[in-house]
Amino acid sequence: MTTRRQILAGAGAAMAFGALGMPLVANAQSKKTVVLASMGPLTGNFDPTSHTTLGQGNFEKIVFSHLTRAPMEEGKTDILEPDLATSWQIIDEHTIEFKLREGVKFHDGKVFGAEDVKATFEYASDPSRPAASYYPGRVDVEVVDPLTVRIKTGKYGYPASTFWFVSSFLPILSADDVAKPDLLQQRPNGTNAFKYVKTEGDRSYLEANEEYFGGRPKIDEIVYAYVPDANTRVLGLMNGEYHIAERLEPEQYESLLSNNTVAVRKGLSTENKYLHFRCNKAPFDDPRIRLAAAHAIDRDQILELMGDAAVASSCFVSPMKFGYTEIENYPRYDPEASARLLEEAGFPGGAGLPQLEYITSIGFYPKTKEYGELIAAMMMEVGFDVQLTVLEPAAWEQAIYRGGDGQGAGHMCDVGWMTGSPEPDLVLRPNWHSGAALINGVSDPEIDASLDKERGTLDPAERLKVLASETFPLMAAKVPSFSLFSAVNFHGAAKNLKGVYYFPSGPIDLSKADFA
Amino acid sequence: MIFALDFFLRRMAQGLVIIVLVAMLIFTLLRVVPGDPVRTMLGPMASAEVAEQTAQKMGLRDPIPVQFAKYVGQVVTGDFGRSFVRSAQGASTGGSRGGATFDASNRAPVMGLILTAVPYSLLLAGLALGISLLISLPIGIAAGLKSGKWPDRLALYLSSIFVSLPNIWLALVLIFLVSVKGGLLPAIGYQNWTYAILPAFVLAIELSPVFIRSASVAVSSNMLEPYVAAGQIRGLSRARMILVHVLRNAMIPLLNVLGIQAIGLLLGSLFVIEYAFNYPGVGLLMINAVFQRDFPVIQAIAILACTLLVLVNILVDFAATNIDRRLQY
Amino acid sequence: MTGELASTASTAEVRAQRSLSATMFTNAWKTTEFRIGFFIFFGLIVLSIAGPSLLGVSPTKFSVAQKFMPPVGFGGDWSHILGTDQMGRDLFARSLIGLRNALIIGVTSVVGMFVVGSAIGMIAGYVGGWIELLLMRITDAQMAIPVIILAITILGLSRPTPVTIICVLILAGWPAYARTARSVMLSERRKEYVRAAKILGASNIRILLVHIAPNILPPIAFVAVLDVARMMIIEAILGFIGIGIQPPTPTFGTIIADGTKYLMNAWWITTVPGLLLTISLCGINLMGGALERARNKLLQGVS
Repeated sequence: MTTRRQILAGAGAAMAFGALGMPLVANAQSKKTVVLASMGPLTGNFDPTSHTTLGQGNFEKIVFSHLTRAPMEEGKTDILEPDLATSWQIIDEHTIEFKLREGVKFHDGKVFGAEDVKATFEYASDPSRPAASYYPGRVDVEVVDPLTVRIKTGKYGYPASTFWFVSSFLPILSADDVAKPDLLQQRPNGTNAFKYVKTEGDRSYLEANEEYFGGRPKIDEIVYAYVPDANTRVLGLMNGEYHIAERLEPEQYESLLSNNTVAVRKGLSTENKYLHFRCNKAPFDDPRIRLAAAHAIDRDQILELMGDAAVASSCFVSPMKFGYTEIENYPRYDPEASARLLEEAGFPGGAGLPQLEYITSIGFYPKTKEYGELIAAMMMEVGFDVQLTVLEPAAWEQAIYRGGDGQGAGHMCDVGWMTGSPEPDLVLRPNWHSGAALINGVSDPEIDASLDKERGTLDPAERLKVLASETFPLMAAKVPSFSLFSAVNFHGAAKNLKGVYYFPSGPIDLSKADFA
Repeated sequence: MIFALDFFLRRMAQGLVIIVLVAMLIFTLLRVVPGDPVRTMLGPMASAEVAEQTAQKMGLRDPIPVQFAKYVGQVVTGDFGRSFVRSAQGASTGGSRGGATFDASNRAPVMGLILTAVPYSLLLAGLALGISLLISLPIGIAAGLKSGKWPDRLALYLSSIFVSLPNIWLALVLIFLVSVKGGLLPAIGYQNWTYAILPAFVLAIELSPVFIRSASVAVSSNMLEPYVAAGQIRGLSRARMILVHVLRNAMIPLLNVLGIQAIGLLLGSLFVIEYAFNYPGVGLLMINAVFQRDFPVIQAIAILACTLLVLVNILVDFAATNIDRRLQY
Repeated sequence: MTGELASTASTAEVRAQRSLSATMFTNAWKTTEFRIGFFIFFGLIVLSIAGPSLLGVSPTKFSVAQKFMPPVGFGGDWSHILGTDQMGRDLFARSLIGLRNALIIGVTSVVGMFVVGSAIGMIAGYVGGWIELLLMRITDAQMAIPVIILAITILGLSRPTPVTIICVLILAGWPAYARTARSVMLSERRKEYVRAAKILGASNIRILLVHIAPNILPPIAFVAVLDVARMMIIEAILGFIGIGIQPPTPTFGTIIADGTKYLMNAWWITTVPGLLLTISLCGINLMGGALERARNKLLQGVS
């Protein structure tokens, strides 16, 4: 017969078991660990050419090195520093040469050399790779000697100089891994300051690379934690659970300014936020309807709402990018023009339009839900019927990209685009060239032609002119996507954590960081 | 002991029927909601043909009863399948993926995900029950002993307030006051067991009214029983009478409440509170799974939660009959 | 005359039952708790209906320039008595609309549970046999899934609208009512007047609706009242997670969730709806508690 005491003892045992299953509190004294609270989930596939997502991209930058490094400090965004390449020069219109660093090893022990650069460039620019649209086009790489490579674009008919800035963006993979795609997907194997160790749940662990060519980092371990809520990130930062929190809300930034243990920083990013229209689906397959929607949106109100987290920009790329300009004919707030366009398109006052689903995220970018409500309300004022769908980041990342059948969910989505190089084509081609059009599905021969022309223009000054006088005005007239503003990023970090470099494109460099 | 065996077998059989019914309900629900799970698994980049092939291969186009039968076959061997979206290491995945086929071996086994989360939830639940009993037993017993007097009124008003505090709001208020402003206790995530205190306290407040009420009712009705007066006439002190007999007898209804009401309540609220505190237990796993449409995780947790409830009920009934043989089933 | 006898017996019993429930309510009404609860509840209903228009401000109109205005007494002014939220919308007006939505969902879903549960319970008790067994097993199964888990699963995976939310709550809550209805049914159908009515040729439906149904209310009235409060909390939780009524319609849960980001610079965004919800729940729970004690006393008195 069971007695009450036995039952209680059983319950006690269950709890003791529970306690045993807990991970022991890390012995923080002996090991310098930085816990980085990130807003972006990893994709579960460590092949850098398999995705265009921000979280995964930022994670990769901790493990992989690049040929060059683009710190993109405000005011001098076009400076490149050596990374795996020690020097580089343009040989002719279709050839660019990189001299490589000697004595670098991959985390798995393989010695780095020219064959790795060749394998990486040829693999990543292969049009069948999902992220191929990041790169200007296909390339052939010539191995001159074990530490010299030449990137050649002659066969594909566009200038090699387009790879100048992209060299700071493409993570260099081991040639052995490229040959074994399965292995490439399973774990990241780079040459940077930290090695990948393991992933447990939403936390990924990295440890210091003893043999890092820039010197062993002082931090022993990085825990890259996916924390899909800005509030959680900040509270965790304040109570010491996290050491760095990405993407604070502007109000959180304000209130943390006076905090004793937390330091905050803000900086203009390479990111613009876009309202993408699904251009291959009614009703936004009609440019007039897109323009009507753009004219209905009062961007001043959005900026007011965003506070310090945004700066006004009327262009398809951020002010940090080459070619940025205020576009003359960029759609302004004009409800009458909006009404007129709707009428022209056969939907006077919005009558006859279907209900439009507007997909946005929460916890990823600041205030997306708030300005989503604002945009929905403003569009409803001119007669659109808008339904806002707010998704958790991982679900949102699933929803925004077009599927294999070319169609995407909903009719509009809120997406930002942030890439680690001043090169504007990293934004323009993936988003608006019909060969990719990853989100909006636009397929417009005029836009394609203009993008190709801009890419093919060799002289920088001439290219600027083409962008400003042809490509951008054309896009502004057809608004396949409506750029809302340029984003300012806020980071919070423990005050005693020094030497961290925050790239304006999102990644965080901890190779020189240390706890004071 | 034949009684016990008979009791167990009968209740287990009933319980099994309930669990199968629940499993069927959840399973069907997940298959009639809009959205194709194949898309979730493959990512948006896979072509329509590949998606269709994968769906065929995984049996997702079979009739629902066939799928259910297969699933039950798996579950019986302890295999709850693999997550649609979590990588083998357990991370949430999102965004475009290059792989053209769904590679099950690169996805986390559901059971593993749950087992990692369970200890956290157990700690939280155990702590919540402990704190709750610590708050409510003294109040409830005092109210029962002094039925109709001020402790009784106090218990009544306290319970009314406790039961009227929305748990999510209480959680936020405590996070703000105790953790952010006061710096007294950590609140978000999990690093060591102190992270469980604040969420456990919120759960305890929610559970307390149930305990206070049943303790006070049990004690007060026992106090009216003839044996109390008889004992006192036989020279047992009132304190001894209460400690030894009244409280022991009052345990039975309390145990019942603990099993049937408290565990049910706890299980539901645990999910919400874990979410509010970003506490890495089963509840957070479940809510994230819902957001990410990770069906295998959702159905496994729902089925296990219901199994737990059914088992607890059986155990409570069994324990009650053993403490008090007068209760026969 | 058997017929006449039977009918008088039945009316007498019905009257006894009716007066039982009347006594219960009268006794409850005599308590202070019930009155306090009732006045709070009644006051909030009036406020939620008339309030937003009396305030003269729109709950959904945003004016970004006026974001984060604190309540009166904390640096705010009378144009927005309880301050504004992150989009410059009036927090009091929004909370009142939130209250209205919570009340509508709470009351409608409980009425729904009562109707559905009673119908199933009575059918089970009346028909008996394997139908009863099946229905009661389904009840057991339903009771084994916590409401929240069921609601999160269904609403998280479909597009939540007020109608689907109410349906899910009914789906999750009917079993308790079905059980009570069945036990009332079992005890009542043996009684003299039911048999008499049957002999007289009254239809099954008539017997169920006219003679038996009214008896279900007294034992479960307090559960229903407490359930309204419970459903209001669940509605808030759903909104908090983001699977309740969708924006731009304000609900308690969504306002509270929006406010979590601004706890540090605008504490009032979560506090105002949270307090209002707590006060409403207090009112309802006080009433429910008083009803429960009145019922217990009555039943003790009867037996």
